[in-house]
Amino acid sequence: MNEAIRTQLSAFVDGELPENEAELLLRRLSQDAELRQQVAEFIAIGRAIRGDSQVTGIDKLRNRVSAALETAPSGGDVADDVPVDDRLVRPMIGFAIAATVALVAIFGLRQMAGVDDQAPQLAGGEEPASYTQQQPEDILEDELLRQMRRVHDESAADQSIKSRLTSLGISEDLDELESEDEEDEEDEAAPE
Amino acid sequence: MTHLQPERSALMLLALCGTLLAAPAVQAAGGDPHEWLDRMTIAVETTNYEGTVIRISDGRAEALKVLHTVSDGVIREKLIAQEGNGLEIIRNGNEVHCILPERKSVLVEAWNDQSTLFSTLPSSDIRFGSEYDVAIVREDRVAGHKTVLIAIRPHDEFRFGHRIWLDLGTGFPLQTQLIDAEGRALEQVKFADITLNKEILASDLAPSYSIENFKWYNQPRRKVTPVVESRWGIEDLPTGFRVISTNEEVLPGSEAAVSHILFSDGLANVSVFIAAHDGKNFAETSKVGASNSFSTMLDGFRVTAVGEVPPATVERFAKSTRLR
Repeated sequence: MNEAIRTQLSAFVDGELPENEAELLLRRLSQDAELRQQVAEFIAIGRAIRGDSQVTGIDKLRNRVSAALETAPSGGDVADDVPVDDRLVRPMIGFAIAATVALVAIFGLRQMAGVDDQAPQLAGGEEPASYTQQQPEDILEDELLRQMRRVHDESAADQSIKSRLTSLGISEDLDELESEDEEDEEDEAAPE
Repeated sequence: MTHLQPERSALMLLALCGTLLAAPAVQAAGGDPHEWLDRMTIAVETTNYEGTVIRISDGRAEALKVLHTVSDGVIREKLIAQEGNGLEIIRNGNEVHCILPERKSVLVEAWNDQSTLFSTLPSSDIRFGSEYDVAIVREDRVAGHKTVLIAIRPHDEFRFGHRIWLDLGTGFPLQTQLIDAEGRALEQVKFADITLNKEILASDLAPSYSIENFKWYNQPRRKVTPVVESRWGIEDLPTGFRVISTNEEVLPGSEAAVSHILFSDGLANVSVFIAAHDGKNFAETSKVGASNSFSTMLDGFRVTAVGEVPPATVERFAKSTRLR
């Protein structure tokens, strides 16, 4: 992803992207999962840093969908000289596409960013920062907390199966551990 | 004398009929819920089974194929994730192999005897005193089996409730739910299908993958130092919770030893961790499934409470932690 797109995304989630550019970005978002993921990360970072639950970009999208619903044409509002098929179908297609694009974007982003129900709040007295700031590793579910959960699970109800089935999961653990193969290789390479 | 309106009378009659019809069903399930919990404990410890479990948490559902056998007191089981990364967990006694086929890796861990799919359920050892009520609710049907529904309801807002559906014939738990104060299921485990008392062969428990060329990792054992007299205490402990253990250990991610105090009310557990603050930012609140955490600063220490309890409970534990 190039810097221009990154800047555009950042402006979008901050609600600072011009309307026409936002429209194009929305269309691209509806088709590009990687891009949606990137926006979701921006949103999550911003929310974590600010400790708030409102996301300007999401609100803007939501407002746009509401506006589209409110301005959706009814049969009586359409000019009489337009052929019947076009009168009814064309505006509806336009509305459907706009609403679908926006809803896909909202739904995808909310799913990825956990907009509604996972709003970690900062402790430690840090000042709020911009959404464009890179994600500090220690902001969200930090490593120490992850280990605390693990120790609690093991100590409390011995819920190892549950722990292992959650997304806290094994992959991160594997990354932290050296494999036996590597240990063996190191042993073999070590001078006697 | 007050005369009831005809519609209201009809409704009352219907309600009375419903009560009379439901009563024999509950009676058939047996009158003492504690006896059912005793039966459940024995069934979980002794029953061989094969089935598909659906676990629903945080709005996500995942299916697991489970094979479980106990012989000579040794648990052997195999769990296969039906979606995602194809994770397999194979257990032979206390040794557990977590197999990740996508990464061609095996993580070897040591679990203790209590680590089972149902280890969070109440055991018959637990005495429900002032913190919970336990009651038989009704008969129901789960995975084609007749069941009795047991409800465990907390008396206050500091813990979650449970609903457990037990097989009428064996007492085996076929469905469990963790319930919040509004009666919503925060997490549930439910068998979609199950064969109880099935003979499980050793070959059934072998890995589904050829793992000879996989990378093997060993999860290092935790180095825990028990502490007899902790300098930390909880000033405003919710009713019914008591200290189960106090330890110190060095966790990955911390440089110095972290104090860990485990509390339990017999069913819900809360851990309080006290770690020297390393200057890094941390999230005050966090949630994974039904597990909540709350972190705060106290005299240069980061105090974190974690547990499958409501957010208000972990907040109260963390905020009322004090140096003695």
